[in-house]
Amino acid sequence: MTTQRIGEIIESSTTRFTAGAYELLAAPPFGALVRAVTRSEGLAVYGLVYEIRTGSREPGGRAVVRGRTYSGRELYDAEIYAENPDLAEVLQTEFSALTVGFAEGEAIYQYLPPQPPPVHYSVYACDADELLRFAAKNDFFRAVLFATHIPGDELLAAALRAVARARPDRHDYLVRAGRDLAGLLKDDHDRLVALLHRIRP
Amino acid sequence: MGLDLAALSRQVRELSGAAVRTAASAAERAVRARERYLAVAGEERHWARAVDLSRDTASWLLARPVERLDTARDLPTCPPAYAVVATDGSQIDLDRHGSVACYLINIGQVFIRYGQRPTARLGSRPALYYREEDLYVSDGARRVAIEGNYLSARRDVEEGLALADLAETALDGALPALALQDGTLVRWTLAGAERFVQERFLGQYLGYLERMRARGIPTASYISRPRSPEVVGVIRLMLCPDVDVAAGRGARCAECSDARAGREPSCALCQGLVDADVLGARLAEGQRGPLFVSMSTINIERYGPHCIHFFHLRVGREVCRVEIPAWVASVPEQVDLVHSLVYDQCLRGGGYPVALARAHEQAVIRAVDRRAFERMLAGSLARAEANGAVSAKRESKEFSRL
Repeated sequence: MTTQRIGEIIESSTTRFTAGAYELLAAPPFGALVRAVTRSEGLAVYGLVYEIRTGSREPGGRAVVRGRTYSGRELYDAEIYAENPDLAEVLQTEFSALTVGFAEGEAIYQYLPPQPPPVHYSVYACDADELLRFAAKNDFFRAVLFATHIPGDELLAAALRAVARARPDRHDYLVRAGRDLAGLLKDDHDRLVALLHRIRP
Repeated sequence: MGLDLAALSRQVRELSGAAVRTAASAAERAVRARERYLAVAGEERHWARAVDLSRDTASWLLARPVERLDTARDLPTCPPAYAVVATDGSQIDLDRHGSVACYLINIGQVFIRYGQRPTARLGSRPALYYREEDLYVSDGARRVAIEGNYLSARRDVEEGLALADLAETALDGALPALALQDGTLVRWTLAGAERFVQERFLGQYLGYLERMRARGIPTASYISRPRSPEVVGVIRLMLCPDVDVAAGRGARCAECSDARAGREPSCALCQGLVDADVLGARLAEGQRGPLFVSMSTINIERYGPHCIHFFHLRVGREVCRVEIPAWVASVPEQVDLVHSLVYDQCLRGGGYPVALARAHEQAVIRAVDRRAFERMLAGSLARAEANGAVSAKRESKEFSRL
């Protein structure tokens, strides 16, 4: 597990955590699996990124438009950042992750850890091997589908597509995942259909 | 009972009316003052001499012209890549009613590099001062508390020293560079201070300028909406019936011939005008006006090789004042560099230098931070079992008795 450190926890609770990205605008993609370390050696918490946002570091601060300079010059997109290097210091990209399990030594558990990751502890991106190790079982589906105040169906679909991309048996994996989803959403046919459309192999 | 807004609103309306009348009168007088000023363009030496002759006897501020009075220099080309460093400070003053004697100075520091390898570093450095030598300046016999104006002087010194440190670590000399401060470089608040206080603070401040000079880093300060009437003081000399340079006589306000003859002084035309009113109208976008030497006593007598010069610069609807030490002002290329970089900073910052805006953001102590600091201090004193009682006055302000 020597993947890249991408951020640092700035808010943490039992069910979810938020991290500040070290590089502006460089958050892991929606649905990505990330790992946060904890005070216990060998215990790491897994989360699925469900929200990414960029804004002022100062409370209440708002960005101003900068594409048309006072002298009439037009600046586009990345040029604006190149012309205003201070922006990277006053803006911050943050991402929030829904806690879906944890690793203790070699074992992986798909339920909530005893402690959330501490504030200021590191967050790492998970590579394909780690993603597949975590997603070997489908017990985390329920936690994602039934989490409140987040786009749970979209999040699970994005995570499943990422797992499928990393697997050689992509089609079979998605079919099996679809069956498990059918079991979880047996009371809500419309929702199931919408979700299956999002992961259609 | 707080502020009686109903009673206040009538006074606010009266104020607005008066402000409009004053502005109209000032604009009309500024035109006449400007005409007088431009009529003698080319006679700078003459008026520089008049300034020197009047320095001790005129009762208004003065500036000695260095360039042609009608100078309006176009914006030089801005280098494609450059670096800028800036500092700004804020403070929590000594609270006499508080539990313990201390003050806090927070210095915001900014380094920004533009061009091929753009980067920025923003930060702030707080320092708490509580030792005897921090709270008082002493020359052995006498002791003066560092508070109010003297604390501001100390903060100015700390801003300067932090800027010198920053310039020495962040600027590698590979790019054109600028060190920028907010406000004036003339520490006139120290002019009336006791000699040993002045020695202490001014010595440190000039030490900072000396470090910048030794490293060859163009140093400047930026004054937004300047209210100084120093060039206007020169125009007063032009209007003064008593000035006779050939005879070696400057303006002597105590013996004003107009006043003696029972007339309104000829220089009354300039009453209430500031330099920007007179110089601003001539400057097109990005142009700067002529260089002057600020004639404040402390600058002339104490600054030596760092003697502060200034020029005005048009940035949008504002005319700002840029101050530079003599070792920058005497090198035309350096003046051009300061001119172009300060203007570029203003463009990027929407009318105010972005490096200074960032330094201020870093330095500012918000009410919530101030309260957190006060709680931290009180908690720490309580744990240390130090006597941490606040004064009865302070306590009565915090809790009203019902």
